[in-house]
Amino acid sequence: MQISPHIGSQLVDLCSALLLLTCFAIVAQRRLSACVDLFALQSAFLVLTAALVAFLTGNHHIYIAAALTGVIKVVIIPRVLKKVIERLNVKRELVMNVNVPAGLLICGALVMLAFFITQPIIPLGFLLTRDSLAIALAIVLIGFFTMIARQKAVSQLIGFLVMENGLFLGATAATYGMPLIVELGVFFDVLIAALIAGIYTNRLQDAFDSVDTSHLTVLKE
Amino acid sequence: MLVLLIGLIFCYGSGILLPFCVPRKPQIQGMLGSACSSVASLIGIALGLGGLVAAEPLTASVASLIPLLSFAVRLDPLSSFFVLTISLAGLATSIYAMSYLKEFHGRVSVAMLAALTNGFLLSMILVVIADNGFFFLMAWELMSLVSYFLVVTEHEKAEVRDAGFFYLVMTHVGTAFVVLTYLVLFQSAGSFSFESFRHPEQALPDGMKTLVFLAALIGFGTKAGIVPLHGWLPLAHPAAPSHISALMSGVMIKTAIYALIRVYFDFLGGQFPWWWGFTVLLVGTLSALLGVMYALMEHDLKRLLAFHSVENIGIILMGIGAGMIFQTYGLTEFAALGLLAALYHTINHALFKTLLFMGAGSLLYATHTRNMEEYGGLLRRMPWTGLFFLIGALSISALPPTNGFISEWLLFQTLFLSFQLPALFLKLMLPIAAAILALTGVLALACFAKAFGISFLALARSTHARQAEEVPIAMRIAMGSLALLCVGLGLAPMIVVPLLDRITGPLTGLSISDKVLALDGWALAPVNMEFSSVSTPMLAVMLLLCGLLGLVLAFLFGGQLVTRSYKTWGCGITLSPRMAYTATGFTQPIKRVFSTIYQPTIKLETEFLEESRYFAKQRKFEFHIEPIFEQYLYGPVVRVFLGIADRLRILQGGSLHLYLAYIFVTLVVLLLFAV
Repeated sequence: MQISPHIGSQLVDLCSALLLLTCFAIVAQRRLSACVDLFALQSAFLVLTAALVAFLTGNHHIYIAAALTGVIKVVIIPRVLKKVIERLNVKRELVMNVNVPAGLLICGALVMLAFFITQPIIPLGFLLTRDSLAIALAIVLIGFFTMIARQKAVSQLIGFLVMENGLFLGATAATYGMPLIVELGVFFDVLIAALIAGIYTNRLQDAFDSVDTSHLTVLKE
Repeated sequence: MLVLLIGLIFCYGSGILLPFCVPRKPQIQGMLGSACSSVASLIGIALGLGGLVAAEPLTASVASLIPLLSFAVRLDPLSSFFVLTISLAGLATSIYAMSYLKEFHGRVSVAMLAALTNGFLLSMILVVIADNGFFFLMAWELMSLVSYFLVVTEHEKAEVRDAGFFYLVMTHVGTAFVVLTYLVLFQSAGSFSFESFRHPEQALPDGMKTLVFLAALIGFGTKAGIVPLHGWLPLAHPAAPSHISALMSGVMIKTAIYALIRVYFDFLGGQFPWWWGFTVLLVGTLSALLGVMYALMEHDLKRLLAFHSVENIGIILMGIGAGMIFQTYGLTEFAALGLLAALYHTINHALFKTLLFMGAGSLLYATHTRNMEEYGGLLRRMPWTGLFFLIGALSISALPPTNGFISEWLLFQTLFLSFQLPALFLKLMLPIAAAILALTGVLALACFAKAFGISFLALARSTHARQAEEVPIAMRIAMGSLALLCVGLGLAPMIVVPLLDRITGPLTGLSISDKVLALDGWALAPVNMEFSSVSTPMLAVMLLLCGLLGLVLAFLFGGQLVTRSYKTWGCGITLSPRMAYTATGFTQPIKRVFSTIYQPTIKLETEFLEESRYFAKQRKFEFHIEPIFEQYLYGPVVRVFLGIADRLRILQGGSLHLYLAYIFVTLVVLLLFAV
């Protein structure tokens, strides 16, 4: 089956846009478990995008990366996070450094920034996925912003994972997928990072009876 | 040759890995590590000797994926000489470690210690054979890091951690300058290979050359331990395990000498203004004098030896500096002679300093203290160690017929040849340097008279010393072989000088071995026979003859040789160890004479009984020497940095979010700039 490159490009753009949309949803969401669900959903969209790119370009190794994303980011990590949330009994994010409406506005600005920055690069990219690059950068920035805006360690972890999703999308968009060995390494890193952050969160809870990272201020000299 | 090199790397490599294969058996771990490094060092000795006599330098290279980096090695005579030196010290310390590692069983991981020792030796070899600037820097960093980990072997002690930290900071400051050196060279060469440094596409401008000179002197000088960058030596050497101190002091600091010769004579082709050589000479002279003066005041045997390394590095640099001065004025013969003296002293120092550190380690092993005041009378308990230590002490004090004498004598000759120089200033300065060298020699002799006398003679001053036992056979073999080499290299300059000439020949472009050796090699007569000559074998024979003559005379005229055994008369009081000279007492006169430099402070506190002022309850005597450089050089620098850090602390909010925000803002700003 052949799809015209134009339609293919549109499909990839659509999937990327859905990824971006879930980002906004995560920023707007106060309940932590819902955030995790949204992250799982975002990862699912990522799998879809990657699979689409693999199908359209015929780079079969991207299928493997997509499958790994599915296993790790849609199933394993959300499950770990849910466990952590359950154990720590933190259902809601009560304290935020930036409130939700302001956060959404800033995220809007970040998306504009991302498009502005990638403007000169986009014409150089591949036809199929070039618009995704801007979206990928926007997702990275929003993920980063989430880490700053939220107080709880769990939401920071989610922010980190969102950033990683953005990077993965960027890599797929800009180069039709990194070499498989690099992808494997990155997946391993993310998995380990998530586990370590889970443990760190537990320790934080034990030490301060809370997973609010602003408590770490007392460690300052 | 290449096979030997691969074998050497393989042996050190297995020495790094094998100790970990037998967990929970420190005995076997130590043995495995030492055996591997012994074999590797034997190969290294063969490789070094082979490289010295080979007609063509051995080169090999493996390309790497990283741009500008290739794992290129080159074994020319200069490298081979240092490979030989490192391997000699490596072999002795490996044998020594077989027994000495027992000290650490159960306290620290012996496997780690053995593996790090192998890695340390390997990294030093790589430093001296590297033929690519990038690769050199990697090996250099590896050497620094591994030696840091070795220094902090006993990291449970606070002072060891402090010493390690100080060493780490100093060595990295040094490395920064080394990197600068290579970057400047790279700029004109366009490649990091040493060959391109030698023959760059465009010649370096003079300003840049000066920068290379200064950066190399500071960078490598830090590692070598020149005054005033010597601060880490007296801290790090005592902190490390003794066989490691022996390696660090005996050979690691020599890699810096190697690098200096490589940069000045090889890369810059021996073309420099006169003040370069003069600076090196000045730094060397200062290091030699101050090193020995601070050594004199030390009662910690290993600290004392560490300060002597400063002194000897100074002596080596004096040779290099004098060589550079002569090179500037085209007096190639004398330049070669200076360099030859420096190299001769390099290997000599490697031998006797390793020997002395192992001796200090043996005393530590037997008495569990490094404080000389708690030794005494050890010669009777540890005769072998005493003998070997004495030979080392004779060598370092430059007494004939040992090797230290030859190299210092050659250096004196070089310095006296200054009357040939056209510049009046230098004509005057070089003999002054020679005079200071003479003073240094005398002070070194005093220092070792103290070190040997206080430690080995008289009565034992502590229970530890009273119960000391001779060290195991492996340690004695290690020390004994180096002691033999010390005497051997003193008696056989006719073998050593032609070998060293193979190094200085290509560097200066003139072979001088026939000019230095006279009477078929039985005498040394640098450059012109009428000026001066000496023959150590002859001296040794004469010394023996004098001894025999004395015996004969005593036999003829002194009547019968009767031995009468009786207690020493102690003015009617029973002799006690408290009557013997202490190390502090021994050096008191020198302390007085040089009080300007030492800035001694004495504090005497007396606490009286409440009832009467005529009866003292206790008296407290405190004495210490002003550490000038620590106070006036390092202190202000540290204060400046702490001040800056205090200001910058505002940035440290302690909040994770704040830090993330810093990164975020930086990222966004950079992205905007990129557009």
